[in-house]
Amino acid sequence: MVDESTRKTLSSIPLLKTKAGPREKELWVERLKEEYQSLIKYVQNNKAADNDWFRLESNKEGTKWFGKCWFFHDQLKYEFDVEFDIAVTYPTTAPEIALPELDGKTAKMYRGGKICLSDHFKPLWARNVPKFGIGHAMALGLGPWLAVEIPDLIAKGVIHYKEKSEPSTS
Amino acid sequence: MSDWEEVKRLAADFQKVQLSSTSQKLSERNCVEIISWLIEKKILDLIFTSDGKEYLTPAQLVTDIQNELFVSGGRINLGELAKIIGVDYGQITAHLNEVLRSRKDIQNVLGQLIDSHYITRIAGEINEKLQQIGQINVGELTITYDLPADFLQQQVLEKHLGTLIFATQDKNDPKIFFTESFIARSKAKLKGCLSGIIRPTLVTTILVQTGISEKLFFTLFDQTSMYGTLSSRLPSAQYIPNSYSRSLNEWTLTFYKQNAYLEFDTLARIGISDYKSYIKKQFSNEDLLFLESSVASKTILERIEADIDECISSKSYVDLQNNLPSVFTAKDTSLILDKLLVGQKQQQTVVVEDFIISKAFIDGLVTMCSESVKEKAKQIVDSGKYQQYIIEVQGNQGKPQKFDDNDEKTDKREERRKKAAGGKSGGGTQGRETKTKSTKKHFRGGHKVDNDDDVIATETKKILAVVTGEEIKALIERFLEEEGLDTLVDPLTEHLLPNLNEQGFQIAAEIFKTKVADQNVNRRKTHNELQEKVNDLVSEVRLFSRGIKLFSGDVQVQLVKYLLKTVCSDIVTEILNYAAAETTSNIQSTDNFNNDQKMKFVNELPNEFKTPLQPLVKSLSGQSIDDFMNAVDQSLAACSMIIKKIDKKKDRTIVLNHKHKLLEELNTCDDVALVLHLATLIVFTSATQCMLHASGRHLASVLSFLKAHVSEGQISELMSYHDFVTLMLSNGSEAENAKEKLKEKMQFIKNIANEYKSTSGEKA
Repeated sequence: MVDESTRKTLSSIPLLKTKAGPREKELWVERLKEEYQSLIKYVQNNKAADNDWFRLESNKEGTKWFGKCWFFHDQLKYEFDVEFDIAVTYPTTAPEIALPELDGKTAKMYRGGKICLSDHFKPLWARNVPKFGIGHAMALGLGPWLAVEIPDLIAKGVIHYKEKSEPSTS
Repeated sequence: MSDWEEVKRLAADFQKVQLSSTSQKLSERNCVEIISWLIEKKILDLIFTSDGKEYLTPAQLVTDIQNELFVSGGRINLGELAKIIGVDYGQITAHLNEVLRSRKDIQNVLGQLIDSHYITRIAGEINEKLQQIGQINVGELTITYDLPADFLQQQVLEKHLGTLIFATQDKNDPKIFFTESFIARSKAKLKGCLSGIIRPTLVTTILVQTGISEKLFFTLFDQTSMYGTLSSRLPSAQYIPNSYSRSLNEWTLTFYKQNAYLEFDTLARIGISDYKSYIKKQFSNEDLLFLESSVASKTILERIEADIDECISSKSYVDLQNNLPSVFTAKDTSLILDKLLVGQKQQQTVVVEDFIISKAFIDGLVTMCSESVKEKAKQIVDSGKYQQYIIEVQGNQGKPQKFDDNDEKTDKREERRKKAAGGKSGGGTQGRETKTKSTKKHFRGGHKVDNDDDVIATETKKILAVVTGEEIKALIERFLEEEGLDTLVDPLTEHLLPNLNEQGFQIAAEIFKTKVADQNVNRRKTHNELQEKVNDLVSEVRLFSRGIKLFSGDVQVQLVKYLLKTVCSDIVTEILNYAAAETTSNIQSTDNFNNDQKMKFVNELPNEFKTPLQPLVKSLSGQSIDDFMNAVDQSLAACSMIIKKIDKKKDRTIVLNHKHKLLEELNTCDDVALVLHLATLIVFTSATQCMLHASGRHLASVLSFLKAHVSEGQISELMSYHDFVTLMLSNGSEAENAKEKLKEKMQFIKNIANEYKSTSGEKA
């Protein structure tokens, strides 16, 4: 199961109502609106808690999402690109979040940099269709993964601190 | 499309949110770390709150304390302060000095902060209260304000006295404050109260009534003391108003002036408990006589003395009851009398109950009674009571006592023997006997001593009531009633009784003496008479016995017996009577005694009579005239009587007299039997010149003796007459007949006797 702080974070993310994939034009819009509202709330929460850890944006249709995420370790900020598509089966299937930079650097990753989510994530998502959205996926999927994998990768020396990384994404 | 627009807008919003700067927040942990580091480095001086989540600067604490103090109205508890500010109590106390230094008007009193405003306020309150109540005690204030007395005293009351608190401090008790008006009010109240009180009152009662405190009372009392005095300085003291003591003194003085005495009871009742000293103080210049229940002035004594003098001189009496104040008790009276009746006065007066009676008065009463007493005394002597009494008195010291003594001796011996034998278990009756005996002895002994003294003295002690109380009472009652002394009848009677009795007794004694003198004369006479009589009788007996001797044998014996039974018995009776009178025996007369009784009587006589009389009485039942005569001689000697010598001439005359007597008797006699008897005796006497004492039964033998001296015819007449008489006395069928015959012959027989006399007379 997810840890306590994750659960707390999760409960503060507003739940969604509309069950619609990108193919269902009318309802997808509705869904997309809810996704945004949910995300806004989540980011606001994060910022309020001084826990902002990602930037996301999507294409016009909201089917392709990309952005950055970062992680502090030993007072150093490690930043990674993040991207994922919304499958047509969404929201029944969870989005597959990928960190292309780390493709091939860790075992806990599928081809194309898609992270291997915990065993718990998928049944949890399945139980919460259609209430869970992108925010939930980030909080439940990517967040814990980063917290576990990055310190390990750093320790292995697979990734290094990039001094000259851009101070900000935009 | 609007939906898409909206999505676009939302996406934009999202971006905006993401791009908005993240608030640069330090986590709590970091903050704590930073601050503790700073404090450690002494860069910062901070105070933790009690929950540890907040910090305060010391300056803030100081202002907070001041603010809280202000908020709570100038007085706050340090503990409460710590709670309100949320700081440790230690921090408060640590920074208290700073607060106190910065603000001079703040004080720390027993863990409470108090500023001058508060003090001013309570001073104002106290003042208000003072104005209302008039008096205030620091003790009470400590309770109402919950502040230490010292603080209130110094910081509140004394500091503001005269500025905020308008009152006076009690000089005696600095803890008490009162307003002038209160003092004035209390004083006025007390003044009113004290001046209103007219009788001694307990201070506590006054305090309760006026509501003035005890201390105030005593302070104020000194200023208002002109109305009275206090018995002491204690709350239990009594307030005695001047008016009361003044009126008391006036009353006692006037009472004393008027009545010349003062009763202790009255003094005690009007509130003078220590009356003796009071009297001594009040009447120090008076001459007083202290009695049991009261005090009497000299005037009373003088008056009584004068009364007594007058009573003595006027020979009357004084009623002390009326002359002395009624409150005087009997003891008082006797005390007064003790003082007054001294010397001559005592001798001249008699005190009976409450009366002083002059001797002269009593004497008057005595003379009044003396007549009756004389009568009584005479009566007593006449009735023999006196003699009996004297005998009793004398009997106790006379011979009988000796006998008793002897008896006692034997008794004692007996007793001793019994005691030795039986010890204490001598039996109830015996024990009692001995007891009674012993008391008897004692009694007698006592009298013996008395009787040795003057006879009259003993007699007064004895109860020989010449006059009884009732008699005296009856005598003096009327006189006393006239005098108005009826109450004194009884006591006076009692007083007079012994005197009068004595007097009466003396009179009785005198009467008795004269009477005894008379009696002695009488007795001498009777003695002589008796002697005469006995002599006559004895000579008669002698003559009779001579006559008897003429007879022979059987007849003689019979005649002797008859003589003893008759004339001799008479003699013995006479002698015994005399003896009885001499020994004053109870038996007055032995006339009808038979021989046994006589014997018994003789045995009871004293020895001097007993020995000669015993054979006398015995001889009566004997057969010899000579024995009797001897006994008579002895007895008469014992009775101091003289037997006259035998005188032959006289004998003759006696015989003649006897004959004449018989003749006279015969001539006047009508009894047929007696006629024969007399005639026979006359004939015998004439014939033998001897007297004969014989009964009718002996007539036959006498007649046969006379045959020799009388003619045939006469003797046959007499014999036949005698036969008829026996026939008549036998009560046979011919009795009536015989009687008729006898009557016919009676004159004839009489003639025979008369004639025989003449013949014999011729013969002689």
